[in-house]
Amino acid sequence: MNDPIDATSPVPDGPGPAPSADAPTRPGALLHVDHVSKVYGSGHTAVTALDDATMAVDQGEFVALLGPSGSGKTTLISIIGGLLSATSGTVRIGDVDVTALSRRELTRFRAERVGFVFQSANLVPFLTARENLLYVATLVKTPKKAAQQRADQLLEELGLADRAKNLPEQLSGGERQRVAIGRALMNDPDLVLVDEPTAALDTALGRQVVQLLRREIKDRGKTGIMVTHDLRMVEYTDRVFEILDGHLTHVEEPSALKH
Amino acid sequence: MSLAGTEIKRAKLRFGLLTGAVSLLVFLVLLLSTLSGALIGALVGALQGLRTDGLVYADFARDNIAASRMEPSVVDAVAAVPGVANAAAVGTFTTAADIAGQQVDVQVFGFEPDGPGSPSGLSDGRLPSAPGEAAVDGGDVAIGDTITLDPAGTDLTVVGLLRGAQFNAIPTMYVDLDTYVEAAAATNPGLPFVPINAVAFAVQPDADVATVASAITSDVPGVKGYTRDDAVALIPGIESITQSFGILVGLTFIIGIVVIGFFFLILTVQKLKPFTLLRAIGTGTGRLAATVAIQITIVVWLASAIALGLTLLAVRGLNTGIPVQLDPQLILTTILAVWIFSLLAGLLSIRRIARIDPASAVGAR
Ligand SMILES: Nc1ncnc2c1ncn2[C@@H]1O[C@H](COP(=O)(O)OP(=O)(O)OP(=O)(O)O)[C@@H](O)[C@H]1O
Ligand SMILES: [Mg+2]
Repeated sequence: MNDPIDATSPVPDGPGPAPSADAPTRPGALLHVDHVSKVYGSGHTAVTALDDATMAVDQGEFVALLGPSGSGKTTLISIIGGLLSATSGTVRIGDVDVTALSRRELTRFRAERVGFVFQSANLVPFLTARENLLYVATLVKTPKKAAQQRADQLLEELGLADRAKNLPEQLSGGERQRVAIGRALMNDPDLVLVDEPTAALDTALGRQVVQLLRREIKDRGKTGIMVTHDLRMVEYTDRVFEILDGHLTHVEEPSALKH
Repeated sequence: MSLAGTEIKRAKLRFGLLTGAVSLLVFLVLLLSTLSGALIGALVGALQGLRTDGLVYADFARDNIAASRMEPSVVDAVAAVPGVANAAAVGTFTTAADIAGQQVDVQVFGFEPDGPGSPSGLSDGRLPSAPGEAAVDGGDVAIGDTITLDPAGTDLTVVGLLRGAQFNAIPTMYVDLDTYVEAAAATNPGLPFVPINAVAFAVQPDADVATVASAITSDVPGVKGYTRDDAVALIPGIESITQSFGILVGLTFIIGIVVIGFFFLILTVQKLKPFTLLRAIGTGTGRLAATVAIQITIVVWLASAIALGLTLLAVRGLNTGIPVQLDPQLILTTILAVWIFSLLAGLLSIRRIARIDPASAVGAR
C-alpha cells in the first residue's frame, strides 16, 4: 500500500522556488511534510501532481493552501490526512509517521486524529445533522452520553441547534458545510483538513463559514489546513502556502497576497 | 448508532418493497414445498406408514402394489424364508363409497391386526380390531360415523382417524383382512378367490431387510421382495413427481436468492458515495460489510415472518382435497437456507465495498 519511504533523501538544492525553508526551523511543529512527491499513473500517462513538497505547521495554527485548479492541493491534503499514499517523502503528525501506517492503521488514524471537511458530498444522506456527528463518535467508541453532549454543543456553536434533526437534503449549502465542520471537530482531532469549503457558496456565506471554521479551530487549539483558490478567504488564516503545478512555496503573511 | 437500522428507518418504502418482494418469493418456496410434501405424502403415505420391514409383490406387477395379485398361500411361503420373522397379507383396492350421503372414491386396505402391515399415524381413536371397523385418513369423517362401500354394500364404522396414511391422494380406510375379503368379493362377483396384493414381512432382529428381500425374490417363485423404502420409491410416477416439485422449489429458491443478491448490490452501488465518505472519515470495511449483512438479515427474517403468515393462510384457505400440514422442520430449514444463501449473495455487495478507494471522497471529482 505504502510506497517505500526514502528517509535519507537529501534536501534538494536545485533550482525552482525555494521550498519551505522554515520546515527545519520549526522543530516543535505538529505537522511535518518532508520532501513529499506524488506521481499518478506510470509511464506515458504519469502525472506528477506533487513535486518535493516540504512544509511544517505548528499546533494551533490555521493555514491556507492556495493554488489554481489542478495544482495539487487536494493531493497534498489527502496525503497529509492518510487518504492517499505518497510516492516518496514522509508525513509526520506529532510522533506518528503517517506514511508508514498500514491500510487498517490509516483507517483508525483518520477516525481518531483527523477531521475532514470535503468539497462536496460531505454528509451521509440518510443520517440527520446530529446523527452525522454522532456517527463519527462511534468510530472511536466515545460513550453515548458524552457524544450526545458534544454533538449538541457543536451544533449550538455552529448555529444549527434547530436543524439537528434535519436530513442533509433539507439543509442549505451553508448549513451542510457547517454540519461538516462539526463532524470534523467531533472526535477532537489533532488536525482539521478542509478542502474548498466555500466552493459551493456565495461570497458572503463563504466568509461566514470560514470565519466560523477559524473560530472553532482557534477556540479549540486545533491545527487547521484550508485548501482554497479564493484569495479573499486567506485573510482569516495565519499563514499561506502557495502551490503551483505541484511545487509548494510559502508566503509568510496573508496580507502579502493582497495586491 | 446503527447505520443499518437508521438507513432502513429513513428508507422505509425502499426496504418495504424489497421485504414485500422477498416475502412473496419465500412464500412461494414454503407453499410449494409444503404442498409437494403433502401431495407426495397423500400419494404414498400409506406405504410409508405401514408397520413393516418390507413388502412382497407379484413379479409381474412391475413394482406396483395395485397391479400385484397373489394367492393367499404366498404368505406362508414368505414366512418360511430364512430371516423372516413374521408375514401377513395386505390387500388393497379402489372403490366408491358413501360418506355422509356423498359418493367419493376411496382406497381400502385390508391388514391382519396381529401381523406386520398395520397402519401408523393414528391421531384419534384406535385401529380396527373387529369386522366392520375402519380407521380412516381423509374424507371429513368423525369417529362413530358409518361409511358404506359401493357397490359391495359393506358398512364400516369409523373407530380411528389416521394422519399421513393416504394412498393415491384419496380418502383411505384400513379394515381387518376378513372385512376386506368380504368387500372385495362383493365388488368383484364371480372371482374364485380374493387375491392379496402384497405380503408384509418383518425380519428377525439380526437380519438385514434388503438381504431378506432378495432371498424372498429368489426363494419364492413368482414374487419380488422389497424393503419398505424401496417399495415407496418405486411407486410409479413418484420419482418424476418428486423431481418436478424439486425443480420448482429449487428454481423459486434460486430466483429469490438472486433477487436479494442483486437488490443489495444495486443498493450498495447507489450508496457508493456515502460509503466512500464513511471510509474516508475512518470507517473500516468490516463495519460497512456488517451493515449490509445486518440489513439482509432484517429483510430476510421479516420477509420470512410475512411469508409464514401467508403460508398459514393459504394452507387454511386453499381447498386442495388432500390433507396439508405445515412441517415446522421444513419451514425452519427453508428460512435458514434463504438467510444463509442471501448472506452469500450479499458478498457481491461486500466485494464492491472492499474495492472502495477512500481517497476518492476528497475534492470535487
Ligand atoms: N487519481 C488521479 N489519477 C491521475 N491524475 C490525477 C488523479 N488525481 C489528481 N490527478 C492530477 O493531479 C493533479 C493535481 O490534482 P489535485 O486534485 O490535487 O488538484 P487541485 O489543486 O485539488 O485542483 P482543484 O482546485 O481543481 O480541486 C491534476 O493535474 C490532476 O489531474
Ligand atoms: Mg481539489
